[in-house]
Amino acid sequence: MPGGPSLYRLLEFLGSACIRFTRTLGSVLILFAETLKEMLFPPFEIKNTFKQMQEVGIKSVPVVIITAVFTGMVLAFQTFTGFKRFGAEALVGTVVALSMTREMGPVLTGLVVAGRAGAAMAAELGTMRVTEQIDALETLSTSPVKYLIVPRFVASMIMLPCLTIIADMLGILGGYAIAVWLYGMSSALYWRRAWNYLEMNDIYGGLAKACFFGAAIAIVCCYRGFYTEGGAEGVGKATTGAVVMSFMTILISDYFLGAWLLK
Amino acid sequence: MIEVSGLHKSFGSHHVLRGVDLLVEDGQSMVVIGGSGSGKSVLIKHIIGLLKPDKGSVFVDGEDITGLDARHLYEVRRKFGMLFQGAALFDSMTVWENVSFALTRSGMKPKEAKEVAIEKLRLVGLSGIEDLMPSELSGGMRKRVGLARAIAHQPQILLYDEPTTGIDPIMADAINDLIIKMREELNVTSVAITHDMQSAYKIAGRIAFLYEGNIIESGTPDEIKSTSNPYTKQFITGSAQGPIKIEGVELKRA
Repeated sequence: MPGGPSLYRLLEFLGSACIRFTRTLGSVLILFAETLKEMLFPPFEIKNTFKQMQEVGIKSVPVVIITAVFTGMVLAFQTFTGFKRFGAEALVGTVVALSMTREMGPVLTGLVVAGRAGAAMAAELGTMRVTEQIDALETLSTSPVKYLIVPRFVASMIMLPCLTIIADMLGILGGYAIAVWLYGMSSALYWRRAWNYLEMNDIYGGLAKACFFGAAIAIVCCYRGFYTEGGAEGVGKATTGAVVMSFMTILISDYFLGAWLLK
Repeated sequence: MIEVSGLHKSFGSHHVLRGVDLLVEDGQSMVVIGGSGSGKSVLIKHIIGLLKPDKGSVFVDGEDITGLDARHLYEVRRKFGMLFQGAALFDSMTVWENVSFALTRSGMKPKEAKEVAIEKLRLVGLSGIEDLMPSELSGGMRKRVGLARAIAHQPQILLYDEPTTGIDPIMADAINDLIIKMREELNVTSVAITHDMQSAYKIAGRIAFLYEGNIIESGTPDEIKSTSNPYTKQFITGSAQGPIKIEGVELKRA
């Protein structure tokens, strides 16, 4: 049978990829359900949650500021030079405000937090797994999901929207700097254009996305760390895998969430 | 009392435990010996419910723990203290926070918990280190802190995962002495897994030999020393020649 074996191999490859994907998705959802369950019953890990809010939120502020300011600046610069070709440069404020609140704010904040705090979550939990610290928690009658994952989940879900508010504001200010100071646009025009077409729904939709990204980053990164196998190399793989998986989740879900929340 | 009966466990196609039976009476000191990869760690993890068996049961004081839900399992685990091979100290906490972890979790005030931690640390021969971080300790000290953490909530059963592996012989003997001291002073039942025969002879009331997923022989240290079973004999004398084949190694006598 010509081409038979290679066709089999192709089908086998596709089949096993599908099975792997389904299994991973299933495990992530089970961990998510367990996290929700543990979150609702006392004792509540308040101290740990605040510690994680600091890790995820406060320590991400500098990177978020730089990312947002420069993104706003780039948006203003590109819009100004591009729109000038058909005389619409007055709309810079509108473009920057809408882009930042609906897309760039939440997505870039999500990516920054996934790269910074998400990687740290995977590495920390992974190390705890391979050095048996997670087993030790179990032997001390403490649920590792409650003690380790719930605080990270809650902290990310709260801090991501907060960071996004910062990113939205600073992105718009970055755009202002370029439009007004560099291209000499009138300050009042920039603000008027920015506000006139901005609806509260744009901001809320963006923040809702950020909240989802926060939850997704925490679950995905904790999942990769929690089920780490194979020593130091395993921790490395878990960390890289966590960041890649978070990025994919953010970028893919962004489309669907956007289509649903921000019609 | 711990009773393991007909325990089977596979990981993928690797059938690790193949019907293990083991009985540990109250107050007894059981040592399970076996080669690397023989499933000793898997066995001890089943005893405390960290792994679920494919088949078989583990009874702790007459209660089968293999079917328990998480909440009840945590209750049962209060009877246990476990010393991990690498001590498994929480590296984000100080030594005393590690030792008193189970106590503060169950609501004890930090001040009181620290006092208990200091007392437990003294019991394992350590003092003045309660405010250090685990990364500042030597291997032997980490094991002692791990032991202090394991006994802090006054368990009735202590599990030791390779207690003397990875530390120097003198420190290892000091750990053996501590294990004996724990049994005598705290009156606990203990199960240890090891491949260190010197340690096994010293701490064991009974020794069980795990080979290819089964306990093939058990007895008092003297009975094991004078065994006629060729497998056990080869293992306890530590000879490369004999019926036990070393995986992937072809041995020829010159």
